[in-house]
Amino acid sequence: MEILKISKEDFNSFIDEKRTASAPLEGPGDSISGHAEKWKTIGVVKKGANFVFAELNSAAELCLDYDVTVLPPKKYFLPPKETLLKFIPKKAESYAAVNHPGPIALIGVHHYDLAAIHLMDRAFSEGERDEHYMKRRENSVLIGIYPTKHYKYRFSSSVIRGQFRKAADIMLVAMNGFFVVEILTEKGKNYLQGAELQENDFSLADIEAAANKIKDDQKIPLPIELVPEFLEKNHDHSAWDYFGGKCFSCASCVLVCPTCYCFDVRDEVDLTLEAGKRVRTWDSCMLEDFALTGEGFNFRAGRGARFRHRIYRKGKHLFEKYGYFGCVGCGRCAGSCTAGIAGPVKVLKYMLEHKQ
Amino acid sequence: MSSKPKVAFFDFACCEGCQLQVANLEEEILVLAQMVDVVEFREVMTGAAPAYDIAFIEGSITRRADENRLKDIRNRSKLLVAYGQCAVSGGINKLKNRRPGMDEVKKEVYGDSAGMPHLDTYPTKAIDEIVAVDFYIPGCPVNREEFLWVVKELLLGKTPRLPNYPVCVNCKLQENACLFDFSIICLGPLARAGCGAVCPANGVACCACRGTVDNPNKNAMHEILLKYNYTVEEIKKKFDIFAVDPEVQSGKK
Repeated sequence: MEILKISKEDFNSFIDEKRTASAPLEGPGDSISGHAEKWKTIGVVKKGANFVFAELNSAAELCLDYDVTVLPPKKYFLPPKETLLKFIPKKAESYAAVNHPGPIALIGVHHYDLAAIHLMDRAFSEGERDEHYMKRRENSVLIGIYPTKHYKYRFSSSVIRGQFRKAADIMLVAMNGFFVVEILTEKGKNYLQGAELQENDFSLADIEAAANKIKDDQKIPLPIELVPEFLEKNHDHSAWDYFGGKCFSCASCVLVCPTCYCFDVRDEVDLTLEAGKRVRTWDSCMLEDFALTGEGFNFRAGRGARFRHRIYRKGKHLFEKYGYFGCVGCGRCAGSCTAGIAGPVKVLKYMLEHKQ
Repeated sequence: MSSKPKVAFFDFACCEGCQLQVANLEEEILVLAQMVDVVEFREVMTGAAPAYDIAFIEGSITRRADENRLKDIRNRSKLLVAYGQCAVSGGINKLKNRRPGMDEVKKEVYGDSAGMPHLDTYPTKAIDEIVAVDFYIPGCPVNREEFLWVVKELLLGKTPRLPNYPVCVNCKLQENACLFDFSIICLGPLARAGCGAVCPANGVACCACRGTVDNPNKNAMHEILLKYNYTVEEIKKKFDIFAVDPEVQSGKK
């Protein structure tokens, strides 16, 4: 839509204004219905030696110069644990959906995480539309930023294209003392109303250079278009047993993955047995019980089969379904794997080096 | 007579920390008290009953006299639940079993009084080494939310199924820094979750106080240990703290 700029100080004070605003919102979302609501404002902050997305108490906490966050921002749209509906046991008519998301702004989402949110948006809106996820997305503004820090496991440039722009409302490019602000949606434009935006006087070449300043150390070792067929042909590759033998089945790779969205749903009843709720939690195909069926049969009992399934999801199933590689190259899985085996780059390299 | 399930709590060799967790449920315990008849619970009340629908056993068995008391409770209970790691595996009390003999242990702890009859002790046993156990609630101490959940499942006639995934899951959900990143060996990848990863969240390595998952990948751990220059003996000592044997753990779900 348009390209402007804002000084970093002005950006921070604008964020704080939105965070504490009491004026009626002109922003997105139908849950607002004219009431004054503050923007819940999420940004990247430091947690010990790492970075995480967390609610800001002040824009001063923002650390937009970061390598990677422990968990991706999906936790705000698909929470690790959420109540879907409440009910009174044995009273079918008592079922009531729970969904009251207020407006939320996410600040500093890297382009690969935006690409992942775009994939999640498709997964939760096509076919069975998931109102819980979609309501939260509709009530959110995503302010992206191109990475300014290197992360040794990142390989996003070899797997994502421009799809991240379909999720972003605003993209920021950090330039000395300023953010170049690219407004991509009406939602983004509305959110920024009142901000001290200035005319952009940086050259497009300089902006481009700043946006692409960080180069990845790693890349998928074959053209991604060839990966689905490559995996198909290597269903019985020795890699699965090799990596399965080293795998703890701890699910770290899946929990930190921005494109993993599998969940479990169960009913929880009060001790009094008078009230209950249906709860959705994250699940993981790497855990032993994921494919355990009611009568005790586990259709993915082996670690190797589970390991293969995860790689197939990223490199084949999601790719074939959505036309995008199912992995966005954030490198979190590789970085969080105690056994050091989870990264798709490592797996595909091993498979190429050990041709069957 | 009330038709509510009769529930009793018993303790053997332990610090009573687990029943304290139950007593600390506070608000929930009032609801629980409406749903069941707590007929024996030394920490919070006086009283006794001839039979129980559910008996919760805390602590390990360290004296011959305790065996008879435990067997008597079992005979009078429909369901018997071992709660807390002392009851589940023997827990910390089992550390003494690694010593050559009980005489040495008694002398070290009680000095000149070691010969007193009430200090007679034998190698520690878990509850299921004496009687059949229907359900286990692991941990040192037990997680009181999990305790409550198990009670609820049992009251609903369901079979409680403990988390069968490692502590890493709890850590990742809280975005804790992984201790391996600081070259600290943590049993988290093998240990059964459900504790909320309180130790790693505070920078302390997991000691698997809840035992291991059903099917821990010991070979993978072995490779990691070599990478960090640890020996198998060193890691076994860590498992010994809570008397967890990864080889046989899968029997206790």
